[in-house]
Formats: sequence, C-alpha cells, structure tokens
Amino acid sequence: MIPRRWKRQRRAARLVLVVLAVALAASACAPDEDTGGGETGGTVKLGFISPVTGFVAALGTDMRRGWEMYWQQNGGKAGDVTVQTVFEDDTGDPEVALTKARRLVEQEQVQLVAGPILANTAYAVAGYVAGRGLPTVQMTGADDLTQRKFDPLVLRVGYTSSQSNFPAGQWAYEQGHKTAVTICPDYAFGWESCGGFVSAFVKAGGKIERQVWHPLGTQDFSTYVAQARQANPDVVFIGSAGGPDAILFYKSWTGFGLKDRIPLVGNCCFADQVFLREVGEEALDLQSFTYWSEGRDSPLVQRFVQAYEQQHKEIPSLYAAGAYTMAQVIAEALKKTGGKIEGEDFINAARQVSLSESLYGALTFDDTNNVVGPVYRTRVQRRDDGTLWSVVEQTFPEVSQFGTEGKEAFLEHPVFSRDYTGQ
Amino acid sequence: MSAARWAGVAALAAGIAAVVAAPYVLPSYTVSLLTLMFIAALLASSVNLLAGLAGLVSIGHAGIAAAGAYGVAWATVHGLGLPAALGVAAALTLAVSVVYALTTMRTSGIVFLMITLALGITVFGLALKLSSVTGGQNGLTGVRRPGMVGEWWQYYFFTAAVYGACLLVLAAMSRSPFGLTLRGIRESQSRMTSLGYSVTAVKFVAILVSGAFAGCAGVLLAWNSEFLSPSVASFSRSALAVVIVIVGGVGTLLGPLVGAGIVVAAEYWLSSYVERWQTVLGAVLILVVLFAPRGIVGGLEGLAGQLTHRPRKEGS
Amino acid sequence: MTLDEFLLQALNGLSFGALLFVLASGFTLVFGLMHIVNLAHGAFYLVGGYVGIVTATATGSFLAAIVAGAATAAVIGLASERLLLRRVRGKELPEVLLTVGIALVVADACLAAFGGNPRSIPVPSVLSESVRLGDITYPTYRLFVISLAVALGALLYVVQHRTRFGALIRAGVDDREIAESLGIDVPRVFTAMFVFGAALAGLAGVVAAGLLTLRPGADIDILLFALVVVVVGGLGSLEGAAVGSALIGLVDAFSKVWVPEFSYFAVFAPMAIVLMFRPAGLFGRSRT
Repeated sequence: MIPRRWKRQRRAARLVLVVLAVALAASACAPDEDTGGGETGGTVKLGFISPVTGFVAALGTDMRRGWEMYWQQNGGKAGDVTVQTVFEDDTGDPEVALTKARRLVEQEQVQLVAGPILANTAYAVAGYVAGRGLPTVQMTGADDLTQRKFDPLVLRVGYTSSQSNFPAGQWAYEQGHKTAVTICPDYAFGWESCGGFVSAFVKAGGKIERQVWHPLGTQDFSTYVAQARQANPDVVFIGSAGGPDAILFYKSWTGFGLKDRIPLVGNCCFADQVFLREVGEEALDLQSFTYWSEGRDSPLVQRFVQAYEQQHKEIPSLYAAGAYTMAQVIAEALKKTGGKIEGEDFINAARQVSLSESLYGALTFDDTNNVVGPVYRTRVQRRDDGTLWSVVEQTFPEVSQFGTEGKEAFLEHPVFSRDYTGQ
Repeated sequence: MSAARWAGVAALAAGIAAVVAAPYVLPSYTVSLLTLMFIAALLASSVNLLAGLAGLVSIGHAGIAAAGAYGVAWATVHGLGLPAALGVAAALTLAVSVVYALTTMRTSGIVFLMITLALGITVFGLALKLSSVTGGQNGLTGVRRPGMVGEWWQYYFFTAAVYGACLLVLAAMSRSPFGLTLRGIRESQSRMTSLGYSVTAVKFVAILVSGAFAGCAGVLLAWNSEFLSPSVASFSRSALAVVIVIVGGVGTLLGPLVGAGIVVAAEYWLSSYVERWQTVLGAVLILVVLFAPRGIVGGLEGLAGQLTHRPRKEGS
Repeated sequence: MTLDEFLLQALNGLSFGALLFVLASGFTLVFGLMHIVNLAHGAFYLVGGYVGIVTATATGSFLAAIVAGAATAAVIGLASERLLLRRVRGKELPEVLLTVGIALVVADACLAAFGGNPRSIPVPSVLSESVRLGDITYPTYRLFVISLAVALGALLYVVQHRTRFGALIRAGVDDREIAESLGIDVPRVFTAMFVFGAALAGLAGVVAAGLLTLRPGADIDILLFALVVVVVGGLGSLEGAAVGSALIGLVDAFSKVWVPEFSYFAVFAPMAIVLMFRPAGLFGRSRT
C-alpha cells in the first residue's frame, strides 16, 4: 500500500527525525537568558505602546503626542533622572501588542511598559509584562483590570469605564428625570459604561425603560434612535467609545429632530475633540460626564491645551491628556524612588502619588491601583476664537471606581455585563 | 544518491541545524518571532494544502484556527488538564471544519472563496458575541502553556518540532494517492467524476484534514500568547495566510515557511523601524507577483531545475 | 412595527443599498469584462472619499469634491492597470494578489496623508435638511443617495445596451477572442473599463462620506459588503448588482431591528441561500 517513492524518502525522513531528537535533547539545555531592566546611571528606559495605525489610529497618535509633550515640558527628566522612551505601534491588535511588548521588554530592555489603550490589547500586554515582573501603567477603562483581575504590578492612571458614569446616574435622577433609556455599544466597554449609569440611576430611584445595544462600528443608527424615541424617556444616556460611532449616532439623533425633544447625557468619551471637530455647531450645549474637560479653568490645563495646540494645531483629546497624566504620575513616582524601577516597589510608590493638580484635577489612588478623582459635568461651548470645547459646570470630587458602594460590596456582584439592569 | 540529492539533504540538514541553534545565538525576542513564523507557516500550510493540491483557495481559515485556539483556551481557563484541553480543541476544530466542509464541498473557485470568507467572519462574530464563553472582545487571559514547554526557548523548539512533524505529514500526503486525487480534482473536476471519484467526498475529507492543521496552529497560537481574543479569527488573519501562501509559492512544501518569514518580518520587525511598513509589504507583494509568479520557493525550484538541467517534475 | 417604522427602515436599507450599488457596479463591471476580482476596490473608495472631503472643505463645493474624488481614484486605477495588472493579464490568482498589494499601498498612503481621525464630508445645505414623508421626517441626503444610484443605474443600462461603447463591452464579455479578431482594441477597452470602475468607487467614497465616516479600515468594511452584493447578484451582472445591493441594504436595516443579536451575520444569510440554489448568483452566468 505504501507507494514506492515513499521508501526512497525514508532515508531523508530518518535523518530529519534524528535531528528532531537532537533538538529535543538540546532543549534540555537552556540558553542564556536576556537579563532585563538594568538602569544605567541616572537614566531609565520606558516602553510606550499605542495604536498608531489601524482603525483607532487617531487615539494612538494622540496618546503618543500627550506623552511626548510631558517629557518635552520637563526636559526629558523626572527630577535628576533622564527618561528615555521607546515607542511601539500595536495597530489595535492584541497579538501585535503582545509581540511589541515582548520586543520592548526583551530586546529594548525597558523597565516599565505604558499603554496600550484598547481593553484586549491592554489585558494581553499587562499579563505578559507583569508575568516578567515588570510594572505596567495603563489608561484603558476596562473595569476589571483594577477590580476582579487586579495585579499588584498594574497601575491604572485613569478611570474605569463605569466610574465617571456613577455621578451621571445620580445627577440625572436628581434633575427630575424618572425614566431613562441607555444606548451603549454591545461589548465590555459599553456594558461597563452603561452599567455605571444604570446602577446609580436605579439606586437613586429611577427606572430604565430600555437598554439599547448597538454593534461597534454601526454605520446607521436610525434604528437605535427610533427605539429610544419610542420608549419616550425623560432622559437618554449615551455611553459611547467615541470616534465614528459617536459622530454617526449624533447625526441620526439630530437628523430625527430629537436634539430639542429629549435631554441627552454623554459619557466620558462621547463628545470628545474628535467628535467636536467633525460635528461642529450641532454639538453646542451637549452635556457630558467626563474626567477631561479641555475648557476647564485651571492653569495647568490651559497651559497644556495652548502648548499642544501650538504644536499640533488641534485641541488635545482625552487620549492625549491621559497619556500626559500617565507620564506625570510615573515622573512623580520616579522622584519618590530615586529613579529606581523595581517591580512592586515602583507601583507602590506610584500609588502613593497624590497630585493636588493634574489634567484631571486632584488625583489619588486607591488600594487596587486605580484613580480616585473628580468627575465633571461639562457642556459644549464656543471658545473665544470660535472653536468648540467642553467647559465644566459642576464638579463631583473624589469619585471612586466602586461608586458609592465601597469595595467589598461592589466586588460581590460580577462585572457589569449586558444583562445588568440595575437590580 | 545524485549530486542534487546530496545538495538537497545538505540544505535540509543545514536548515535544521539553524533552527536548533537559534535560541543559543539569537536574542529571545528574535526567537519569539521565529516561533510566530512557524505558527503562521502552519496556518498557511493548511491553506496551501487546499490551494496547492486541490485548487481551492480559502480566505476564512483563521476561523478554523480560532476554533482550536478557543477550545484549548476555554478548557485551560476552566482548569481542565492537558489531555482534556486538547480534546476540547480537537472536537471544536472538527466541528467547525465539518461546517466549512459541508457548506463548500460542492463548490470551487470564487464561490468557494466567498463562502469561506463568510464562514471566517461568522466565527469572528461568534467569538465576539458568545462572551460568556469566549470572553467577548476583552478575550481570555491566563491561558497557561503546558509546564514542559513554559520557557520561551522550550516553546520555540516545541513549535518548530510540531511544524516539522506537520511538514512531514503534508509531504507524505502530497505524494500519496489521496494527494494525487486532489491534484486530479484541481486539473479537472469533471474528469475525476467521470473516472468514478466522488469529488464531493474527497473535498470533504481534504477540508477536514486541512482544518486539523489549522486547528493545531490555533492551539499553538493560544499557548504562545497565553491570551486569546476574537482577532485570531479576523478576516485580515485569514487574508494574510493566503498572502503568505502565494508569496511563498502555492503548492510548494516550504513556500508557506518562506512566506511566513517575510510577512512576520514585515509585521513585527520592519514595523518597529519603518512606520509605512504596510506600504513595504504591499510593494513586496506586487514585486513577487510580477517577477516571481510561482512564489519565491516556486521560483527557486524552477531556477534549481534549470541549473541542474533536469526537466521540471510534473505536478509540483 | 408600524407602517411609519417600516417605511423608515425600508428607506434606511435602500439608502445604504444605493451606496452599495454605486460601489458594487464598478466592481461587477470590471469582473464581468476582465474577470478580475479587484480587491483594491475598497481602497479606491477610500482614497476617493478622502480626496473628496479635502476638496469640499477647501472649496465648499460638493460637486468639485465628487469630481476630484472620482478623478483621483480613476488615475490610481489607470496606473494600476497599465503598469501592473496588464503584466499578469489572464492569470486569476496573480491578478487578485496584485490588487491586494495595491490595496495595502493605497490604504497606507491614505493613513499617511489624511491621518487616523474619522472624517466625513460637509454636505451642501440643500441636502442637509430633512423632508417630511407622511408622519416621519427623513434626511434629504439619504434620498439624494437613492436618486443618485437610480440615475447611475439608468445611465449604465443605457450605455451598456444602447451605445457603441456598451456594445464593445458586451462583445468583450461574451467572447474575447472573437472580439479581438474583429479588430476591437481589447486592451484599450479593458483599461477604460478598469478606470471607469475605479472612478465609480471614488464616487461611492465621496457620497459615503456624507452618510458614514471614513477612517482606516473603512475600505475593508465596505469591500466585504460589496463582495456579498456581487455574489448575491451575480459577478458581472449590473442588474444583479442593483438587486443585490437593494436586498443587502434592506436585510442589514431590518435585521438590526428584528434580530439585533445576529445583525452582524445577517447579510450572509441571503448569500448562503443564493449560493445554495443559484451558485452563480441571481443574475450571474456560470463560468466553466
């Protein structure tokens, strides 16, 4: 049954098998390991990953710019220590993000990794980097990163996806809105964003008429807008991830004449600069609950906005602000540790950082390495020169990722999912 | 053996020596790229099996790989032991391959391409939707490798060995009666039918076999990253597999490996130095198509044939 | 579902389908004549759209944007066909792969030139209002897209069946060799068709920029829809592209309302059904 030609190949096959066996035997001897993380004199080397190409290229580019701006403004130093950054592009894909993280750690020998932004890329990178014993600093919103999937080597310089929406839910009810409809993208970020609003709104006494979930990348929102209108709520909450979805949703919303009919409240990332640049006038007076307000009356914020605008001809988005703040916290932590980055010690030092002023406001960290900070209710206004930005109308100080519940009670129930209705 | 034969064996031995020596002379990051290369080559080989032998180009094979990957990932995360995890991966791969086979076994050409495209995207969508099982968009973390191959260099040898073994099986299959039957189908389906072959049944089996290799690649991928998200089933992964096959040379044994080397180098190595690496990859593609239409390995084989003045063997 | 809602969704489906028709018509015509599956079609759409946006923002003229966008895509199509595709004429797989390479280069060039921000086109005020249709208000722009597609379809039909150029095309489609032996300059006709197809893709991009947003990756998103449309309608058939795009647009719109969980895969259902019963597509001709 065996073809004759196969017999001729047997010699080659045997040779191959012998060599494979040798290889397996060789595998018993470990090669030299690349030792990582050595600091040379007063210099530290940091790795920075963000999606500079791919479908979220705008976010990744803004992140890089914000990060670079911090170091530019501080002479590339944190105290006496010089800081070098190696940049990598994750294209928005977790496999690529992971491989780039490997490169940063094993080839470039960075001592810490910052970024990336998309939740799945962040989980992949954090898992690997923490597994190597190095600290990582994130700004992604994925709730569980500092909750049920907490790791002592991971610090989030930012807010969870649900965090800034707790005050939104409470406030909406206090305005006299008894019923609400929520519209969020149908994946973890959306579930967590709406979850924050819903939990606070229901707790305050409100009723959720309907939860509308749309696939990420929806091009036509008219169905969803129609569903919201049908339910006829007192208020609609939109928990957008920003970008094209936010723009297209809002076009539908105004196109169907709902702008002046039903009050709309946005989350952190709905009416960001990317949105405002595209939507223009129609966005005036839009209210959002967010942690980054580029129109906030703070000298630090205005200096940052001015410098950024001068360099990049655009008002900085929350991604630029977030990366800038990551850099700031890392710099402060470096000052505390005297320029040393040693695993958990560094994260502990970073967690002790308490900023009386940052782009987000007064920041501290809680004991699962997440930010405790202010949330702002903002409104879109025209600046003196005519460009649109959001200014602060109300401040909710010291909002925690656990809302008003407290850590233990909050962690009792599972992470916000599609099925969460507030009960 | 003839001189050409000795040259071939020597080249093979040199290649294997290089593979074995790599972790001792190259930095760990480069070796991890080689690991990725072998995994990509394995997926591309599964595509090459159908494209090269049977003339069926599938642009959705990442979907089958994802089945294997999610099978092993889910099982590992839920605490199942190694044999059980592999069992789950195998079962899921088989199930998905059967669906691919049943929906495409009566088709060929563009229709085959389009159906596999749709299937790949469907698997991607399912991975996103069934979030309680797959972790949805956020993915699954903590997919630990088997202890024995935990270190980077151990995993590299493991992946290389698996790829080598699969290569041997593919080579044998290519020369077997089954392989010849597939080639017959590529030449002319109607002729094969008139000769009494059940073309549909043969294609069915071929897709299952190809799926097995793809599922293997998926398992290797999940263990390599120790993380899994729906992007493993994405259209661009499937399309890249096809690109790898064609750049390397459709129907050649080592084509997928060469193609994988080039694409992995562009995606990971080049991209760290050149921001416009995708332009470079596109340009390489264009150049290969224009000047090496049988792919790089195909072109080299043709060249070698001319150099040794041997008539080109039929059916390579 | 009330009648008003039904009408609303139907119009949504038809307007998206109209956009798909503008895109798919070029794709299917190129295939019908040259048997090229042009996977760079999405990239032509993207570059045309971006150029249109930049033109409209600079000049304030939507018409200029359309011309600029279509022309840019046409020029890139010309370069692709004359310099690259001609060299692999007749070999299917190399042709397809060449278009993949072109798509990669063009899409990356778009990222480099226009950045990663999602962009849309400033629509002329006459089109940016809404119109009352019974009880519902419907955006005028979407109705414009539908009219555009109908006009385009009519034009293409007339050209194909009533003009000499159309006769040349049909001759080339029917039998290339005979057409050549009759003295028709087939290579030139091919180039013209490819350029025309690219121009249609560019036009689709400019029009789409008023309906959707353009960003990195939009080329692949829309290409997948176009592929489904031509598979359903039949590769090479203009009627098929028309029926297919209307069908896919409607399925997309209604599935979002009726089966939102599965709207992602919903468009594959008609494709699966068609392939099961008429593998060549609704209006396609089976190729041996």
